[in-house]
Amino acid sequence: MSLLQILCRRLMLSILVVFGVLVVTFITSRLIPGDPARLMAGEHASQETVRHMRHVLGLDEPLPRQFAGYLARLARGDLGVSIRTERPVIEDLRRFFPATIELSIVALLFAVAAGLPLGVAAAVYRDGWIDQVVRTVSVAGISMPAFWLALLLLDFFYNWLGILPGTGRLDEGVAAPPFITGMFTVDALLAGQGRTMYSAVTHIALPAFTLGFVNLGIIMRQIRSAMIEVLQEDYIRTARAGGLSAARIVFGHALRNALIPSVTMLGLLFGDLLYGAVLTETIFAWPGMGNYVIQSIGFLDFPSIMGFALVASLAYVLLNLAVDLSYMMLDPQIREIG
Amino acid sequence: MRLLRGPASAALLAALCIVQAGAADLATLMIGKPTDPDTLDPHVAQSNNSLTVTCKTYETLVRFAVVDGRATADVAPGLAQSWRVDPAGKVWDFTLAKQHRFSSGRFVDAAAVKFSFDRLLEIAKGPNEDYPAIASTEVLDEHTIRFTLAYPFAPFLASLASCAGEVVDPSVMSHAVDKDLGQGYLSAHSMGSGPYQVAEVEKGQQIVLEPNPYYFGAEPRIKRVVIKIIKEAAVRRLELEKGDLDLIEEVSPDQVDVLRGKPGIMVVDEPCFRQDYLSLNTKRPPLDHVLVRQALSYAVDYQGIINGVLLGKGKQMRGFIPEGFWGHDDRVMKYQYDPQRARALLAQAGAQHLKLSYLYAKADPTWETVGLVLQQNLADIGVTLDLREYAYSTMRDMVDRGDFDIAIGNYTPDFADPSQYLNYWVDSRLFGLAGNRAFYKNAEVDDLIRRAISLSDVGERTRLYQRAQSIAVAEAPYILLSQKNYDVAMRSNVHGYIYNPLLLQVFDFENMWKTP
Repeated sequence: MSLLQILCRRLMLSILVVFGVLVVTFITSRLIPGDPARLMAGEHASQETVRHMRHVLGLDEPLPRQFAGYLARLARGDLGVSIRTERPVIEDLRRFFPATIELSIVALLFAVAAGLPLGVAAAVYRDGWIDQVVRTVSVAGISMPAFWLALLLLDFFYNWLGILPGTGRLDEGVAAPPFITGMFTVDALLAGQGRTMYSAVTHIALPAFTLGFVNLGIIMRQIRSAMIEVLQEDYIRTARAGGLSAARIVFGHALRNALIPSVTMLGLLFGDLLYGAVLTETIFAWPGMGNYVIQSIGFLDFPSIMGFALVASLAYVLLNLAVDLSYMMLDPQIREIG
Repeated sequence: MRLLRGPASAALLAALCIVQAGAADLATLMIGKPTDPDTLDPHVAQSNNSLTVTCKTYETLVRFAVVDGRATADVAPGLAQSWRVDPAGKVWDFTLAKQHRFSSGRFVDAAAVKFSFDRLLEIAKGPNEDYPAIASTEVLDEHTIRFTLAYPFAPFLASLASCAGEVVDPSVMSHAVDKDLGQGYLSAHSMGSGPYQVAEVEKGQQIVLEPNPYYFGAEPRIKRVVIKIIKEAAVRRLELEKGDLDLIEEVSPDQVDVLRGKPGIMVVDEPCFRQDYLSLNTKRPPLDHVLVRQALSYAVDYQGIINGVLLGKGKQMRGFIPEGFWGHDDRVMKYQYDPQRARALLAQAGAQHLKLSYLYAKADPTWETVGLVLQQNLADIGVTLDLREYAYSTMRDMVDRGDFDIAIGNYTPDFADPSQYLNYWVDSRLFGLAGNRAFYKNAEVDDLIRRAISLSDVGERTRLYQRAQSIAVAEAPYILLSQKNYDVAMRSNVHGYIYNPLLLQVFDFENMWKTP
């Protein structure tokens, strides 16, 4: 099966998965007891006002018709208007989703950049001092609550040293860069706005470190154990006997094979980052999807919940696709089988 | 080694050279708010959280007077310079002051006021409930607007000071989409005549206000108000201490005492009209028995809850109408913690081995702890209390349907009139979330409060409300827990703050200033 065929098949399956997610989200969000019209109408609302609001919001129509209407609007690229904010959902998603993606990507980059070499070093110098350090940091990363780490970092770098800003995405008085990707660091770079870029980088540093630190521990442990396993394989012993240099063996042969299970884990980790960013976003007042979707669920803001389910499932599906494709690049056997 | 030293020292240098931009100047006021306002449209906004913006970007026909630096419940002229009402109390004519202008430059005239109230009533998304009696609005001349009421409605004048009565520029219709009357546009913009206008909205991050160039009053000294959304209380506090914020909202009780001792910080810790109460479902046995309800009312350790849960930042309520609010009755009966009497009342009612449930959500961080104290208090008189936590939306739905034994809630009135309490809490026409969450019905009480809301004589209204209140308190459909304190912390170089126990989260930016 050619790469293109595999890609087409996977994309078709992905569309089905996203549709399934939409169906399930639609049904479950409507099964929750509660009435958004009642919530929005406030403390004193009479039954008449609530009925009026239900009609305005289209909640008095049968569920299948509501869902069909939603799909028809979706086909036109219209995700509806948020019950809570009165704004088009697509505008809200356009604003909040890139912020979460940016935070998650930077956190993952940090975790990989630090975790990969440290994990390899821990495996190569097994039970040495570097291994002890890696194991300690891993346990700390996995067991330390993110909110606690965030507060410690804020207190140290913002309050005590005063070298990093506290909250938000940019300093007061610094305008957001022109919208290209919605990720301020990238957009500022593309627009050539040095001060904005600097402000964005300093603001993302602490939340990304907080979010990445947990994953750093996981990545180090995973790489370490995969490398230890691979380094005991016969072909490594053969390579050593053949006189290959240690660096060539580790980076040219062992790491490539150790990376295959790690790539799967990275895909899952990125999904977890999107999900787990809520606490970090809360502490650092990072205007991402976490707070938005939690507030939307609290208000039973159906259009926003559906919009979030759509983009989140799309992100997961694309991520899985990317992971599968990277297997093929790393392992020719998988490419052959398809 | 040299290779390593290069980047490492560069990074260190960069870190040390980082200079935080945006140190706030004296004309900029930085506010820390925990939650982003849902919408900035005054005819849609329901929560006090939106009032921080809407009350400063729009004006009302009348407003609450400020005496000696404190807001009162008395009504003073706003957009209207004078008014008169016919003897029947149904026709109200307001003469507008001529100098008020919207931020677009357009003058505020009678047509704008009519447009605004018609819009509020047509949108009908909740804030309209403050004006149940308006039958029609009519422009008598450019500066005179007439409201005709369907029936005499005593709180009408006070209700016009509520934020729901804010007047919107009719030009908003040029931004209307799909007959939404401009709701989408006003959710993130302002078109009012208040001292400020919305300059920028970064959803989830910050809202920036700048002066309305056509504002009728004196030019504000604060030229830029930045409302930053910071959910985490500890971080708001940190930024206040650091000086990056000038004022923070929603200071938790445990932080009040810590901040009070800090140099350069002052804390406003004042009683407000926000109350915590328990609804006892009077239509469901055994709570349909008045003696059982009274027994529960005597079983609660009110002071224990105030000291232990609110850390002393509150006081037990006496009657429905809080202290400081007109109509409050100092003589109405107040239940005291008396487990012995509670046990005697239960025995008198013949109630044994009662099992009740307590409905709550995480919407308020204290509700669970209150439930735990209550569980212990009721266990002391032989009643088993089952704590049931639901999502807030589900909890509200259950309260509306009467699917609970005991449910906790809190309440803040929209304007200063005792009808805000009694005509909602105990009127049998408003069962459920609409107001009467105890499903309490007493024909005499109904009659008293309905008569009281239609009279204009303040003395007679007070008498009727006090009579209704004394009957309802004795029958204990609610357990009135506490009148809470409202806490705000600010830098001590911020001046001109006026505390308003009614309009919580509203700050008079136009009268505030900062010193070096």
